[in-house]
Amino acid sequence: MRLLAVALIAAGAAAGPPERGFEGRFFEDITVRAGVAAKHSNRAFHNPYAEVMAGYTALGAAVAVADFDGDGFEDLFVTDSAETGKNHLYRNNGDLTFTDVAGKAGVAGGNDAADATADALWLDYDNDGRPDLFVARFGHSRLFHNQGGGRFEDVTRRAGLDRYANAITTVAFDYDRDGDLDLFVGSYFQPIDIFKPKTPRFFPESFETANNGGGLTLWRNEGGGQFKDVTREAGIDLAGWTLDLGHADADNDGDDDLYVACDFGTDRFLLNNGDGTFRDATRETVGIDTKKGMNADWGDYDNDGWLDLYVTNITTDYMREGNFLWRNNGVDDKGTLSFSDVARETGTHDTGWGWGAKFFDYDDDGWLDLYVVNGWVSAGPESYVPDIFAMITRTPAVDFADARNWPPMGGKSLSGYEKKRLFHNEAGTFREEAARHGLDSTRDGRGIAVADLDNDGRLDLFVANANAAPYLYRNVRPAGPHWAAFLLEGRKSNRDAVGAQLRVTAGGHTQLHFVDGGNGFAGQSSRRVHFGLASAAVIDRLEVRWPSGARQTFTHLPADRLYRLVEAGPDPQPFTPEVRKK
Amino acid sequence: MRRFRTLLLLAACAAPALHAAAFDDAIKAVAAHQDAAALPLFEAALNAEPDSLPASNEYRKAVIRTQEYDRAVGFYEKLTAAHPDAAFAWLNFGYAYVDKIPAAGSITQMILANKALTNFSKSIERRKSWIALYTRGNSYLYWPKVFGRAPLGVADLEQAVAIARAEPRKIKVYVRSWVALGDGYWKTGQSEKAKATWGEGQQLFPGDPQLQARLARDGEELEKYLYDQLDPNKRVDTNLAPLYEE
Repeated sequence: MRLLAVALIAAGAAAGPPERGFEGRFFEDITVRAGVAAKHSNRAFHNPYAEVMAGYTALGAAVAVADFDGDGFEDLFVTDSAETGKNHLYRNNGDLTFTDVAGKAGVAGGNDAADATADALWLDYDNDGRPDLFVARFGHSRLFHNQGGGRFEDVTRRAGLDRYANAITTVAFDYDRDGDLDLFVGSYFQPIDIFKPKTPRFFPESFETANNGGGLTLWRNEGGGQFKDVTREAGIDLAGWTLDLGHADADNDGDDDLYVACDFGTDRFLLNNGDGTFRDATRETVGIDTKKGMNADWGDYDNDGWLDLYVTNITTDYMREGNFLWRNNGVDDKGTLSFSDVARETGTHDTGWGWGAKFFDYDDDGWLDLYVVNGWVSAGPESYVPDIFAMITRTPAVDFADARNWPPMGGKSLSGYEKKRLFHNEAGTFREEAARHGLDSTRDGRGIAVADLDNDGRLDLFVANANAAPYLYRNVRPAGPHWAAFLLEGRKSNRDAVGAQLRVTAGGHTQLHFVDGGNGFAGQSSRRVHFGLASAAVIDRLEVRWPSGARQTFTHLPADRLYRLVEAGPDPQPFTPEVRKK
Repeated sequence: MRRFRTLLLLAACAAPALHAAAFDDAIKAVAAHQDAAALPLFEAALNAEPDSLPASNEYRKAVIRTQEYDRAVGFYEKLTAAHPDAAFAWLNFGYAYVDKIPAAGSITQMILANKALTNFSKSIERRKSWIALYTRGNSYLYWPKVFGRAPLGVADLEQAVAIARAEPRKIKVYVRSWVALGDGYWKTGQSEKAKATWGEGQQLFPGDPQLQARLARDGEELEKYLYDQLDPNKRVDTNLAPLYEE
């Protein structure tokens, strides 16, 4: 029955010419029906600074996608942050309903008096073909090894990862190209016990140049299930208030670089030197900013063969920072990479108090669209803004690092009830269409995950909201546009193939996508690489550049299929989850 | 060159010899594209004549070009301490903060704007000039609605317009007070009064592009236009030359 339903959906989505002028809605809210409506709760603190911290820790609503049980259907790991809150592992039943199996799997317990879940990441760190799970926490983060059979084992200590940090974001990619995934963990507060702080001086020292945050830690995968902190060895020395990490091969030199989005000050762009170290190239590539970086997602929005970057900041009546859409100018004759911020020109600069943002092609027209969630704290009718600015403008100047100087938030709102934005890419410029597609909710959005949850060739969305229920939006765009998706398996490369680049030429134009290892704030999308092909029913050429450096080229691949592609293997094979399961 | 000669003439007539000499040298340095060398000369001129609008104006323009914002703030701090009754020194102290705003982050912008307001108020306490009332009133309009400062701006700008109305000679720069007062009315939800004010300004100063731009728009389009006009990331025109050059 399940097979029949999926086959019908797939057939419907793929048939006929592209629809033109269709004015209907492309997304349907199926959260409750799907059984994933459990509400996220912010952590409440029980210390002298609790009322202040409530305004700065409305975080921890995250979502991560992977097919943890290998049945061909993408599953969801969704976090909670309350002291007694349980994390959820939603197993995909294959019919757009889910069953929470976190307790049975041994991954539900992410929160207690000394730890609060902040983010989650699937990564196959031991290349055994089963996605393992890293849960980033304010406190001690956890690594769970996927044992198979729906069971996980906490291997944090054995892996050498048991260290206190106020971790808030994490990505995994093979920075040293040795064939396994390394772990990058960004932390917000410095590594002090924020549940029972021994000092009141643990808040940001500045609103624009704070350098007393948790920074970034690089855990190199040593093989054998072991990780080693090589942060300094790799040339990384950051102490900002990290909120997000985004990796990509920005200069097309074969290794992945890293953008570090920071609250209260300067984002950092680290170029991979290709020798196991990074170089801070912020000043010459994107410049020194004073904004509140929240999100870093890479995608070639203008289809010019260079990966561009979208960074959210705060844009409100009282803080007009504007987001960054860093258009990648490529590498010039002197070997210098540069970017230009085109957010204002493209109409993507103002998304309120921005959080997670993801590039994805929701209408399969061959151009990457952009969904952005936003809003900080939606509470009572009074605004917290005057309280903050009363502190900021006080004379003599106050010590911002001292939590005692910050006003309590009470029941006030701060940039709450903001409408989410969906930017439709119209050949390099954008048009806002969130309301049309029913994606303009006003909950305090945090993380976005993009995945084809029903294997119908249309990209669905999961949105994690702080202190609120999430949204699961099923993509119901009308039939017409063609598509193709690829599930890569590395051999010499890391098995997840994170960092692999795919260049698809169809219908006269070429698109560049890549396998990302968890980019975007609090949201990990599917590692399947999905291409919208518009009216092209055949891929003329597919070029794959694996993280190992190996290249493979294929031609004349029919559209409207999910392909499985193995490094150095034969032609891509159509991958039909139901058949494989049977 | 003509402008420089005018300034020199004004300075020579109105200021002590020391001021005139230093100002003369500063203007020459600016003309020779030596802004950094001009700064101490302007400062010497202002120490001799703290209320000189031309000296302050040309000094701040050189500061913007050299991005020596903190130097200017520090200088005016000392200048006003030494000459606490110099109304235009306080005014320019405020402008020194405003000039820095586009180069600052969003939070620092707020801090700078607040400091500027304090100094504009000190200028008004000493002399209720059109320029000081217009400047403070206009500054209030840049504050987000949540701070409730727009009504204060309207009050200042109504006084500025009253002064301008009473002036027998309507110099062009006065039109700014009609523009800003209309903006203030709009920001406080008095759209009819806003349009009437811009209309009055249009009659007195026909062809003014700022007024034309406002009167040509309505509803959301006008709202967006005014929001963009009051963007602190855009440099505010703090050039005082039209006050004394016309």
